[in-house]
Amino acid sequence: MDKICLEHVSYVYSAGTPFEQKALDDVTLGIRGGCITGIIGHTGSGKSTMMQLLNGLAKPSAGRVLLDGVDINADVDDVFEEWKGQPQYASLSRHKAKRAMTAELKKRKKELCFRVGLVMQYPEYQLFEETVYRDIAYGPQNMGLSEEEIRERVLEAADFTDIDEELLNKSPFDLSGGQKRRVALAGVMAMRPEVLVLDEPAAGLDPLGRTYIFGGIRDYQRRTGSTVLIVSHSMEDMAKYSDDVIVMANARVLRHGTREEVFAHVDELAESGLDIPQITRLMKLLRERGLPIPKNIYTVDEAVSYLKKLFGEVAR
Amino acid sequence: MKGISFGQYYPGDSLLHRLDPRIKIVLTILYIVCTFLCKSAVSFALLLLSVFVLILVSRIPVKIVLRSVRPLLIIIAFTFVINIFWTQGDTPPLLEIGFVRIYAEGIWNAVFMFFRIFSLVTGTGIFLTYTTTPMDLTDGLESLLSPLKKLHVPVHVFAMMMSITLRFIPTLSEETEKIMNAQRARGADFTSGSLIRRAKALIPILIPLFVSAINRALELANAMECRCYHGGEGRTRLKVLKCHARDLVVSLAVIAFGVGLVLLNAVKFGYVMK
Repeated sequence: MDKICLEHVSYVYSAGTPFEQKALDDVTLGIRGGCITGIIGHTGSGKSTMMQLLNGLAKPSAGRVLLDGVDINADVDDVFEEWKGQPQYASLSRHKAKRAMTAELKKRKKELCFRVGLVMQYPEYQLFEETVYRDIAYGPQNMGLSEEEIRERVLEAADFTDIDEELLNKSPFDLSGGQKRRVALAGVMAMRPEVLVLDEPAAGLDPLGRTYIFGGIRDYQRRTGSTVLIVSHSMEDMAKYSDDVIVMANARVLRHGTREEVFAHVDELAESGLDIPQITRLMKLLRERGLPIPKNIYTVDEAVSYLKKLFGEVAR
Repeated sequence: MKGISFGQYYPGDSLLHRLDPRIKIVLTILYIVCTFLCKSAVSFALLLLSVFVLILVSRIPVKIVLRSVRPLLIIIAFTFVINIFWTQGDTPPLLEIGFVRIYAEGIWNAVFMFFRIFSLVTGTGIFLTYTTTPMDLTDGLESLLSPLKKLHVPVHVFAMMMSITLRFIPTLSEETEKIMNAQRARGADFTSGSLIRRAKALIPILIPLFVSAINRALELANAMECRCYHGGEGRTRLKVLKCHARDLVVSLAVIAFGVGLVLLNAVKFGYVMK
């Protein structure tokens, strides 16, 4: 089963005012667990909205969002029929059972924040504590963990994001932009969410900063086996780091599949106005000139090793 | 957070939208005076009628206009109650429980006060905030206050400060929402627990908000200096305010309305406030 499912999800901003805008239009898709999925699209294609729906910060105007097959926005009336047979509710009166269910749903809603970790765009504005350590510890503290457990998680998150131990006692406001970004990312990773959702995690960073961020995300995914969703407009980064790719356009899903499947339709993506990775474009040009280059090259590393092989053959 | 309807401009192209902001400011003051001139039942009827006429002319949905009254409901309710209990009438009281005496006049006063506040809020809202962009508003104010420049009052600076403030209210409220969402995603809980706990839960919002507001102010100051901004002296405008025939017509209509109200106060039909 897919980790996350969207069923006919629509989302409308400022409904009923002159500023009404449809951000998602009847989107249905399933996101595979245990891998990195990249969501690509233009500004205004609905990708940022989609991620806010995943941890219940925003509720869809229509449709359902399922995590492990459970509707995350379910209210009492939705679950009543299904739950009333369960032993803890069976003996209660209708009214009391509903109250108990409401409490249970509220608890789940709170846990959802910790299960689905959300890293917003430019997350460094969320830093507020006196030291980096305490800022990273904010999430785990809200989970009600013990001091040792918190300490362990903070150190682990700092390790994922390459934050040196000496930085942990500094004020987050004294750090550089890239470091702040990593601290903010660590603050979410410290909650060890099973689903990590990131909105443009590398926006505005230099190439080295990008590598740190994406490397940290990949480390996290590999070591915890969690599901990672990265929203980005950079095909380049997505080609490099993601297993699956979703392409969004005009509030709908244009294409969804593994990286190979999606990038096999490079021409179509280019037509819809999306940037295809530069290296893919270069390879396409070379192919058009008659070089025997396969279609599935999306990263510089792949291209280098392939070209080396090719030129090796020519030289021989 | 999205519910803040402070200075909420409602885009449109009605007669009121196109009026000169200076005229609108003066007419708004006039309108406020009018609401206080109302004494008799008949003139209150005219006042209420004027609110509906304004809504019709401005073509703003009634729902949105009514939304601006909502934050004042407590004040309205308070004045309502005060008027009912504290008005002394000449006629015998309608109801007497212990020291509490309720007179017919009290109820009338309360109802009229309600109408007065209601039309004051909606009327000024339609005249100014709903149909005038904050920029037009400050331009209008600056122009109206410009005689004060003779007395060395830095009118332009005040106007600039005001337009910057107005400009950044939506930005800051958006930012607050963003920060709240980010902290909520880290498990912050703003709605439960004791008062102290809730106040403490606000720290993770307030600190980032202040930091970003201060940074934004510094950046704005730099950007203005880079463009050689140096205040009002010798500065020309992209949009020069001009009075048109429609401004005259609307002004006359409002003045006629005010005179009408005063005249109708003399009509002793129904209850007349003292």
